[in-house]
Amino acid sequence: MPSVSPGIRVKVLFFGRVRELTGLREEKGEISEGATLGDLLERYIQRYPQLAEFRASLVASRNQEFAAWDTRITGGDEIAFLPPVSGG
Amino acid sequence: MPVTSENDLYELVRSTIDPAALVRHVRAGQDGAIVTFDGFVRNESHGRATKYLEYEAYEPMALAKMREIGAQIHERFAIHRVAMVHRLGRLDIGETSVFIAISAPHRAAAFEACRFAIDTLKRTVPIWKKEHFQDGAIWADGEIPPAAPKTKPAS
Repeated sequence: MPSVSPGIRVKVLFFGRVRELTGLREEKGEISEGATLGDLLERYIQRYPQLAEFRASLVASRNQEFAAWDTRITGGDEIAFLPPVSGG
Repeated sequence: MPVTSENDLYELVRSTIDPAALVRHVRAGQDGAIVTFDGFVRNESHGRATKYLEYEAYEPMALAKMREIGAQIHERFAIHRVAMVHRLGRLDIGETSVFIAISAPHRAAAFEACRFAIDTLKRTVPIWKKEHFQDGAIWADGEIPPAAPKTKPAS
């Protein structure tokens, strides 16, 4: 029996220095079922190793709310990796 | 949904902020005080002469977080109306980047609510500032939102 789990589709947004480092503003991605926000970040760090330096300062959001790294992703989620905020 | 007054105003704008209009917006007959915060672009940062700033936001989340702050201050302080506006895009020296006006029957609540609002905005609203100097540009240091997870991503 094939054991390949179906992927789930997500939208990933990039801001500030994360946007500049990756050159991405928004991307549709696919990740395996059961993956967490931390797993998704790791995938981007593999693709863009220069992100690793900022890992400790990033926080994640899921559907426009701050979320813990161990949060499981579900299909259709809107996810962002947010650098430290500096409004005001 | 957080509870804010229907007469409150929360906005992200790309043009000049008009502080007088926002003060008028929150002023009502039942009030006796308005406290405002005007945040504007300083001509230097850590001793370097600033040319201009560029602000960007995760706009829908930023607006939601601004409304959350509004709901929190309505709950904690005896205030009447809130106007909270942040500008995005390029801002020159002296231009207002954020303006908050809060009305209340009595001044103490308005002072406390305004201080709480700007402090919380700077910690929790997903807006980013890039500082442009004569010889380059950097993203401002910023603050890690405290609502953020304690758990670190797996390394």
